[in-house]
Parts: sequence; C-alpha cells; structure tokens
Amino acid sequence: MDVILAAVGDAVAWKVLVAIVVGTWAGIIIGGLPGLGSVVGLTIFLPFTFGMDTIMSMALLIGVYCGSVYGGSITAILINTPGTPQSAATTFDGYPMTQQGRVDEALGWATFASFFGGVLSCVLLIFCAPQLARFAVNFGSIEVFALVCLAMLCIVGVSQGSVLKGLLCGMMGFVFSMVGSDSITGADRFTFGSYALSSGFDLIPVVVGTFALSEVFMRLADRDDKAANIPEASLRFPHPREILRRLIELIRGSFIGSFIGALPGTGAATSAFISYAVAQKLSPRRSRLGKGEPDGIIASESSNNAVTGSSFIPTLALGIPGDVVTAMMMGAMVIHGITPGVRLMVDQAQTVYALFVVLIIVNVAMLVLSKPSIGLFRYLFKLPRGYVMAGIVMFCFIGAVSVRGNPLDAVVAALTGMLAYALRCGGYPLAPLVIGMVLGPQLESSLRRGLLIERGDFLGFFTHSGIATTLFVLIGLFLIWTLWSSLARRRAGPTCRSDLSHSINR
Amino acid sequence: MKTLRYSLAALTLIGTVHTAVAADTLDIVVPFAAGGATDIVARSFEPVFSQQMGVTSVVRNVAGASATVGTAEVADNEGNPNIIGYEPAGALTIQPSLKNLPYGPDSFTYICRTVSNPMFLMVSKSSDIESFQQLADASQEYPFLYGSSGPGTLPHLAMAALVANSDLKAEHVPYSGSGPAMNALAGDEIQVMADTETILENYDLRPLAVFADQRVEGYEDVPAIQELGLPSMEFAVWQGVVAPQGISEERASQYAEACKETLESDHFLEFAERAKADIAYLGPDDFKAFVQQRFEANQQVLRDTGLMQ
Repeated sequence: MDVILAAVGDAVAWKVLVAIVVGTWAGIIIGGLPGLGSVVGLTIFLPFTFGMDTIMSMALLIGVYCGSVYGGSITAILINTPGTPQSAATTFDGYPMTQQGRVDEALGWATFASFFGGVLSCVLLIFCAPQLARFAVNFGSIEVFALVCLAMLCIVGVSQGSVLKGLLCGMMGFVFSMVGSDSITGADRFTFGSYALSSGFDLIPVVVGTFALSEVFMRLADRDDKAANIPEASLRFPHPREILRRLIELIRGSFIGSFIGALPGTGAATSAFISYAVAQKLSPRRSRLGKGEPDGIIASESSNNAVTGSSFIPTLALGIPGDVVTAMMMGAMVIHGITPGVRLMVDQAQTVYALFVVLIIVNVAMLVLSKPSIGLFRYLFKLPRGYVMAGIVMFCFIGAVSVRGNPLDAVVAALTGMLAYALRCGGYPLAPLVIGMVLGPQLESSLRRGLLIERGDFLGFFTHSGIATTLFVLIGLFLIWTLWSSLARRRAGPTCRSDLSHSINR
Repeated sequence: MKTLRYSLAALTLIGTVHTAVAADTLDIVVPFAAGGATDIVARSFEPVFSQQMGVTSVVRNVAGASATVGTAEVADNEGNPNIIGYEPAGALTIQPSLKNLPYGPDSFTYICRTVSNPMFLMVSKSSDIESFQQLADASQEYPFLYGSSGPGTLPHLAMAALVANSDLKAEHVPYSGSGPAMNALAGDEIQVMADTETILENYDLRPLAVFADQRVEGYEDVPAIQELGLPSMEFAVWQGVVAPQGISEERASQYAEACKETLESDHFLEFAERAKADIAYLGPDDFKAFVQQRFEANQQVLRDTGLMQ
C-alpha cells in the first residue's frame, strides 16, 4: 500500500502533470496532422527526455503516444484523411457522418470511444497484466496467422459497391508490402536490381499518399465546388442514454484492442481493422456501417486507444516491447537506469505503479484537451483552402521522410498519391490498399514461420493448439454466415447484380 | 490558385532553412530507428563526443534494409568531414556478403570500436536442458527450432555456425527482432536462441555456452564453445564509429582521439554500466583489421552453411 501511495505521489507531482499536458496536447496535434504519427512524435520528444527524471520522461512519452493515437481520428473525420494509420478505420464511418452534417457527433463519439478504450485497457493492465501476458505468450505465429486472417475479412466489408475492386486494391497493398527484403530469407524481392528499393515501402508514406495526397488532389480537382468546404467543427459528447445504448460496442472494441495490444508485433492499426471486422458481424446496426454509423467510429477508436494501455503488458510483464512505440519507451527506461524484464514488476514496483497512474491521467487529459485541440484544427481549417492544402502536402512529405530518414519514402508518397487519385476516379475503394499493406507482412511472415514450425504441413495449423482451432472455426463460421445470409437474401426476392454485391458487403 | 502558389513557395523556403543551418554540424548517422538498442548507445555517446570534438552534432536515424541504407549513406559521402556513422556489426561485416550493396568493408575510414558483448547460447529456464551435450542429444530425435532477430543477423549466424559444426540439429525461424523472438521462446515456439548478456539477464533464460574463446567475467560457470570439444567460434555484438573515405588524416585522428576520450568519460562509463554494454575500445588500425577479420570469418560461416551462393 505504501508503494502505491508513493507511486501516486510521484505521478501527481506538478512537473509530471506539466509533462502530461504538454505531451498529450502535442500528441493530439501531431497525430492530427496527416503524415506525422506516433513514431515521429516520439522521435521528436525522445531527446528532451534525456534530461528529465524517469517518471517525467515516461509521462511525456505516454502523453505523446496516447494523444497521437486519438489525434489521428480528428483529421480522419474532418477531411477523410487519417492523421495516423491507426485511425484509417475511423474514416469508414467518420467521414460519411461529416458529409451528412453530423461532424460534431462524430468527433464526440471518437473522443469518448478513445477515452473509454484507453481507460478500460489501463484497468486491465493494472489488474490482469500477468495473466494477459501469460495468455499472450501462447499466441505464437500460427495463432497470429489465424487472427490476421480474421482481420482480412474486413476488406470485403469496406469495399463499398464492388467486392472485386476492393479485393484488387487489397492485393495491390499486399504486393507493395512485399517489396524489399524477404522477412524469412533476407533475399531482395521486387527490387528490379535497384538498391534504393531494397529497403522496401514503409507504411507511413503509403498511407500518406493514399489518403492525404489523393484527398488534396480530389479537392484541387473540384476546388470551385462550394460543397467540398471543410465544415466548421466542434465537439458534442454523446448523450449518456446514447452511450448506454452502444455500451456493448464500446466494451467489445476496448476488449479487442486490449487483447491485440498485449500481443507483441501487432499494433493499433491491426486492432482497429479487426475490431471493425467484428463490428460488421456483431453490431445490431451493422447494415448501416460504412454509411455514417457511430458504431463504426466506436469500433475503430475504442480499440486503437485500448492498444495504448495494453501494449505495456508484454513490456512490463515480460520485458518484450509490443511495437515500435513501446520499444522506444523501453529505450527511454534503459537510459534512466530501469532495465525492463521479467523482474521489473518486482524490482521497480513504485515506478510501474506510477506509470499506471500516469496512463490514467493521460487519458483524462486527452478528454479535457480534446476540445481546445479540435478548436485549433477548426481554426487551421478556416484558413484559405490553398494554405490548408499546401500545409497538408508539406506535413505529408515531412512525415513520410522523417520516419526512417530515407529519401525513397518521399517518392513513394508522391507516386502512391497519384495512383490513389487515379483509383478514386475509377471508383476503387482505398481502404483495402492500406489494409493489405498493414496486414500483408504480418500474414506472410506468420504463415511462413508457422510452416517452418509445422515443418511444412499446412493442415497442422488447424490442430496446432486450442486457440488456433477456435480462431479457424470462428473464421469458418463468419464465412458461412456471410454466404448463407446473402443466399437467403437472394431467395427472398428478385435481385440484380448490384444488390448481390451489396448483400455480400454485409 | 494564387494563394496556393504563394503558400507553397513560402513552405519550400521554410524547408530549405533547415539545410542551410545544418551545413556546419556533424551528422551522426544511426542506421536503426530511434529508441533501438544501437540508437540508445549512440545517443549516450553523442553528447560527450561532440563536446570533445568542439562541434554541434545531430543524431540522424536512417533505418531500413538491415541497417544498410544508413551505412550506405555514410559511404556515399566520400570526403565529407562532417558525417560519421555509428555502426552495428552486421551492416559492416555480414550484409556486404549477402547483398549487392554500394559499399564494402573498404569503403570507410575506420575510427574506433566502442562496445562489444559476447553472445551466449541459451534456452528457457523452464526447460530441463542444463548443458550443451543434453541439448545436442535431445535434438537427435526431433530437431529443435532456433530463433533469431532476422535473417542474416548475428544471432542467426552464430546458431548456423554452431549447427554446422556440432551434433546439434536445429532449424532457423527468423523473427522481426529480439523481442518477438523472446516471446516465441517463452511460448515454446522455439527452443534455442543465441543473444547477448542484456537479453540473458532480462528474461528467464539459462546460458549453456558462450561464443568466445575464454569464459566470460561474471559467468564463470558458463563454458566457452571450445571447451565443449567444438572448433573455435567467436561471435560478439559490437558497435563502432566509421567515417567516409577521403577525409583528411588530421580529421580522422581528431575523431579517433575524441572517441577514445568519450569512452573513458564518466558519463559514458555510467551509461555502459546501466545498459550492460561492455566498453571495448579499438583504435583506427586495430578496428580496421578487426572488421576485415570478422568480415572474412562471417563470409566463411555463410559459405559453410549455404546462406551465401
């Protein structure tokens, strides 16, 4: 008990609170700017933490991390451009709501879902970290493969209009992700003998090109169209009655995010897609998903913010960083003399508890700071459209290049921007491209690792472990359900081709 | 449209300001993303080093393609006295044999080796294997799987060499880093792994042997590979500073002097203690010979194990 009180004392010191406020606010802004995401934000702030004490530097970095994951949703909703890849799934319903003039409501749901997901995952982190970590360890390559297959199902759901076009874009994203070093053998693939291509395509430049640059091109194309103006946004929190009505969605999204976050090497973008795929099957309002339904925003935002808390589970319980962001956090810990590892919870209990308190305060700070941050974006977007678009283009390229300092990434961003514009004009959905790019490497490497483990026997995947079998059965049920419901619909009434592809979407 | 053009022009100017200011600072290229194991050492090395040099320096992370992109950038800056690279072992002594790279071991002016940690052969503490012999015997019936932090990394090479030169039967499963590999070891997806003391201490692992010619201080009961009746295998994770070719001798010796002073500074000693990095200074000539020797030794391993065509 003394340890907990001391930890609370550490965490509510004024300089820690200042660090939280500065970090969270900067995180929201950085996350909201297209192209600049969590990693860039942390890279900017990491050098500042060298002069601070441990708790204060953790507070700053956690603030930037959580803030940036939330901030991505603001631009996703306002201008159909996710500020970070983690918020890509928020555009599916967020932007349609904006077009319907329900922007305040959309921002309110995104903010509340982010807060809810963040807090719930903190609670899980505090009370079930060791148990969850032990469970997550059982998630080997084959189980991850099954999980990624499940997430892939959402490509079909977000392909509005044409499943074929959606699958085509998904495959395109998949192929992009294969350029560069083969993750298993290290050999170069699809580089055409060019050394520049051997580093492969990073996710950020592709996301920036696909969403942000193509959006700028679209707006440039219909710049005389008054309807394309960015709406004046403010924030309206959902009514408690509404929250109760959708509580189950919030809880489901947060649990999915908390769980995915605890698995090393998956991350917030994957969890948002999985959560969206599950909402497409289980939400009572699933027929309206993709057309401006708050459940879609909830699915995406509650789960991506739930990852922020639970990604500390493998880090704290096992010393294994779950993603790039927690790896950076671990780096900061080492600099301050804390060695993460299996004994961290025992040796450094006070620091770990202080970290928990900081996480909760950060989520509260996020809720409080959401209003002024959205106000800032409203002000920015009120500037003449030329400035706004030029600013977006600038941040896109800064973000694309600063992730790994590779000039190739600027070229990749520009080219994918043009490609995405052409695809949009042809009525192709862009989200599957990003889904393919996010999930492709995970699908491939987990499949090939699984084959190494099963000594080349793919059928062995299905019986590898109880978890794997359960997940594969779930996928089978999802597929049968989709087929059955579309067949039932077909039998129920006369139908034409467009109806058919539509029903598959559901 | 006019505003758009003006604002674009203004933003371009803002963009160029950075380049103009940066002309005189020393670029320290780290070929990994910020926050990684190499980056942390580099960032602790940088402040003392730039103080010794009397310049302003910036750590720049240029990541990608197994650290070769950043390394290639250093090699590409021939004659530039304001750029150095903080390099890991793999990019200098393994990757040039595996890939068609724009640089080789001869493309650099070698400054100094900074740290070096021997690698250990280890299994999970929950396994009942206590010695290398037990491990080799147990692998006869059903080959083990060993993890690594990626294809062509030191953990991969060390294990590949061990499997090629002993009775141990094991196959390689690469992961995207030491973290995910440790997760797999904890979940018994893989059974063996070779990595450094940092990894060994942080997780529940049991060392079976050390890839060095003698036993290591602090691990006196862990046998060296040679004692197991196997040929000598030396694998260590080391880092060093390199500059591009064509810089003046005066500049090179200035770097070497600053590097030596940095490694002896209290600030760096204190950090190395905490991060469990063993300071292992080698001067310019020794470091150059060391890299050449490691390059050839690794190439031999790659040939023996069929990893290199």
